[in-house]
Amino acid sequence: MAPKPFSRRDFLRSALGAGVVITAGSAGQVVIAATNHAEQVPAKYALIIDTTKCVGCGACREACTIRNNLPEETSYIHILAKGEGADRWFLPVQCQHCAEPPCARVCPTRATYRRDDGVVLINEKLCVGCKYCEVACPYQARTFDEERGVVDKCWLCLDRVQAGDMPACVDACVLGARLFGRQDDPNSEVAQLIASGQAKPLHPEFDTQPSILYYIM
Amino acid sequence: MEQTAWGWLVVIYLFLGGLGAGAFLSAAFFELSGWRYKRDFCPTVLTGATISGPVVALGSVLLILDLGAGKMEPWRIFYLFTNFSSVMTWGIWLLCLFIPLAMFYGLLELVEVEPFAKGIIWARFPRLLRNLRPTRRWVAIVGSVLAVGVAIYTGVLISVVGPAVPFWSVRMLPFLPIPMMPVLFLISALSTGMALTFDLAATIAVPHIHEVMGSMALVHIILIGLENILIGLLLIMALSQGGAAAESAQMIMYGPLRLTFWVGVVLIGLIYPFVVHAYAIGAGRHSLWSGIGSGVGIVLAGLFLRYLIVTAGIPAYL
Repeated sequence: MAPKPFSRRDFLRSALGAGVVITAGSAGQVVIAATNHAEQVPAKYALIIDTTKCVGCGACREACTIRNNLPEETSYIHILAKGEGADRWFLPVQCQHCAEPPCARVCPTRATYRRDDGVVLINEKLCVGCKYCEVACPYQARTFDEERGVVDKCWLCLDRVQAGDMPACVDACVLGARLFGRQDDPNSEVAQLIASGQAKPLHPEFDTQPSILYYIM
Repeated sequence: MEQTAWGWLVVIYLFLGGLGAGAFLSAAFFELSGWRYKRDFCPTVLTGATISGPVVALGSVLLILDLGAGKMEPWRIFYLFTNFSSVMTWGIWLLCLFIPLAMFYGLLELVEVEPFAKGIIWARFPRLLRNLRPTRRWVAIVGSVLAVGVAIYTGVLISVVGPAVPFWSVRMLPFLPIPMMPVLFLISALSTGMALTFDLAATIAVPHIHEVMGSMALVHIILIGLENILIGLLLIMALSQGGAAAESAQMIMYGPLRLTFWVGVVLIGLIYPFVVHAYAIGAGRHSLWSGIGSGVGIVLAGLFLRYLIVTAGIPAYL
């Protein structure tokens, strides 16, 4: 007997079944991603910001604006003023290059991704400008470029870093409040600061494992 | 500080997604319960079936208009289907399945009143017209599953941003790790859908609608009561959580958004419809104007509720 031809009804039935499995599977994936951090390649670079030295002069912010050719008054760095009177201190915030980036998880197009060296980047060719990542970033580190219609953020001046230079904000900090280096090299200054436990992530309760760390008194 | 990344377009999109899904569920409820066949003409099913597809489609158009590069280079929209760890991707898939099915449902209802629609189906699928009732039944069942998905998804979309916007990820109860937004958005979707298809459409088309009036008003008054409880819980939970979530709740209750909340949601969407429906249960019918009043009130309140929630989404303190 000839095998039964695969009818349209069979096709619909199996397509429906596959749909349910895919949906359930991806739902499971999200739950797993949310509860159990997958094995991530450790970040290669670290930027440690020493808030005991920062006076909020805004040189890093300005350098970022110029270096990235951004419109005036926009920058990938925003500086928050904390405390009152004599206890006033400053907290510069930019993309934290998280090992578990919430922005990448919510991005419907996979435009945001984490490189193997830990740097989180945006593929502007894939970005549709839905701003979901901007909403989902707990560090408010993303800006929307109205002109190009894509989301934009700190990219750690990767071109300069790969050429052996420092990111523009690090070069610009006259007080030496920004320390940049290889955290995979145990002899580097950043690796030693991290090992000593003095450099800590900002708001560890966000649970995103940033590679930008802070030295806060 | 208000939430600024998403504005009115996203607010209306979330609202229309809920309204369309709710209208579909309302129609499907009449279909599957058999109430639809108690009379020759059922305005609730007709309105719900015909309007749900176009309403959700319009919402999706607004979502696309809110895009940046995706609007300038529309082929980028196809990338939206790719990342299954993103709730937005799930939503896009749901919309793409729901909208055509809902439109088809509308066509199946239009054959009753519109010879043109009958012609379209008759020419291509004569068998379908002979099996109209079982076809409608299956479309209502599958569509209901998708509609619940669409309604819940609009809430899940904002609740999964987790620590970034504490107000959006408020739990239902301290010991219950279920986010409030998906549940609230589902109940609000059902309520606005019923307001549109029943309070508005049915009372206008059949002012002396008697048979099902009492039980429908009862269903609706339960929904309104539930919505009231959920909104109250949301605000209490947000206030007790402190930080940015508490600031969001304060902004809504006695901050810059207070007028929209107390008048636009509480008065016209909860109190007035509650009174009118309680009266309708007693009297056994809606008067024309109370039906229109509560219908318009609930639908507008659904829009204002989403506006409040989106606008008051204050980012976590750094």
